Amino acid sequence: MIISLVRTTKYSFQNFWRNLWLSIITVFILMLTLFAVSMVASLNLLADQAIQAIEDKIDIDIFFKDTATEDDIISAQIYLEEIAEVKQVRYVSKDEALASFRESHEDDSDITEALDELSDNPLPASLVVQAEALTDYAFIVQQFETSEYDALVEDKDFSDHQVVINRLSGLLTRVYQGGLAVSAVFVVISIIMMFNTIRVGIYSHREELAIMKLVGATNLFIRGPFVLEGILYAMVASVCAMALLWVVVISSAPYVNDFFQGYNFSLDFFFYSNLWFIFAIQFLFSLVLAVGSSMISIGRYLKV
Amino acid sequence: MIRFERVTKIYDDNTHGARELSLQVRPGEFVSIVGQSGTGKTTLAKLIIAEEKPTKGKIVIGGWDITNIKQSEIPVLRRQVGMIFQDYKLLPKKTVYENIAYALEVCGVQQSKIDSIVPQVLRVVSLEDKRDNFPDQLSGGQKQRVAIGRSLVHRPKILLADEPTGNLDTINAQEIIDLLLKINQLGTTVLLVTHNKEVVNRLRKRVITIDDGVIVSDQLAGKYVL
Repeated sequence: MIISLVRTTKYSFQNFWRNLWLSIITVFILMLTLFAVSMVASLNLLADQAIQAIEDKIDIDIFFKDTATEDDIISAQIYLEEIAEVKQVRYVSKDEALASFRESHEDDSDITEALDELSDNPLPASLVVQAEALTDYAFIVQQFETSEYDALVEDKDFSDHQVVINRLSGLLTRVYQGGLAVSAVFVVISIIMMFNTIRVGIYSHREELAIMKLVGATNLFIRGPFVLEGILYAMVASVCAMALLWVVVISSAPYVNDFFQGYNFSLDFFFYSNLWFIFAIQFLFSLVLAVGSSMISIGRYLKV
Repeated sequence: MIRFERVTKIYDDNTHGARELSLQVRPGEFVSIVGQSGTGKTTLAKLIIAEEKPTKGKIVIGGWDITNIKQSEIPVLRRQVGMIFQDYKLLPKKTVYENIAYALEVCGVQQSKIDSIVPQVLRVVSLEDKRDNFPDQLSGGQKQRVAIGRSLVHRPKILLADEPTGNLDTINAQEIIDLLLKINQLGTTVLLVTHNKEVVNRLRKRVITIDDGVIVSDQLAGKYVL
């Protein structure tokens, strides 16, 4: 059994080597397929991270009139917290708002001097509301507007973010769909290439195969090298695709990490910590493609 | 050793390769199967190595009923039936030694056994001095001897030779027939499928004549009668 396995492996390497150019093209196409699929998956990951990052920044600021007392605002906060779609409500008093404003504009002397000249605090108290999901904001606003507390409100700040999120989400979905279509094309090309490569291999070895049958080689021994050849293509293509992906990650990581500054996400860290998992997925995917195509080709052209 | 019981073979295009054909070959016999082209000689050979299955009837090889042999059992059968052809079927990129060793390699035989069997076979077919030559460096007779050597590596009980002298001149043809006789004397049953009248007449061995898929003559020390 071990002897047969060793010889089958030897023959599969011979097949690979003796049709070298065809093997290189097949591996190249398979590698492009893996790379395209990986890019789509990466894009999906980045899109999820980006939307998550933006969603975390989204909230509704409800600014209250100066006539609203702290008790009124706390009551409004309790009312909001009782809505199931609300994740969190934070009360920002007039003093806190002023302190925060001063802190964020401490380098701008014009603003600080202007504030100092004012006897009253011009900033309103507010409630900062975060929803469980992005789609819940409209409902929360609607609920609040029907309540008695809406009369105490000076202004609300929400609608601009929704438009940005929708646009970004739409754009990413379109890019993702485009990527999927490109990947599908590569998958089809890969299957055709692999199928053809194995078929050519079978054709160029037809004499040898006839002799194998004649002298009593088992079917497994005759078919084995072609299946192993498929596995070999999958392995080489996965390694090449990983190398290519590594180059892309290394060169794009500074820009991507810059984009996600302040968030718990680093592209290169993600790549390195999931290196084996990504390789395993790529290898499995290419294995299914390569061995599947080999089996179809063998079944069709190798009559033993 | 070989038994055909009322075997009929009808191909997809409705031609008959064998019609109610019955015959028996005993162990150690040397039998020539003769007939004109297209009479069913090769069908008989293909039925023996299970390359074709009979439409009707029963085939028994060495006590083994192979009429409905399973696909997975065919390799086992073929290791017991050596086969040689008119066109030798040698691998051009392998040496004489490698061509013979290849038959053992593909059957999973250990390298040490291959190293001991192949030189013995080369001695039997008198090709020890040509072991490192490639097929295109050999004469037709030498190529056929390589093919015979390859068919012998499994020590088959039956050797089936389908027109082995078809591409050879008279001298080379006689050398091959002499070699087949030598192998037969060592105990292997030999079936010689041929339409070479001279060869058959010189042998003075059993001759089965087939015409249109039917045995028309079976003589113990016969001659080519068609």
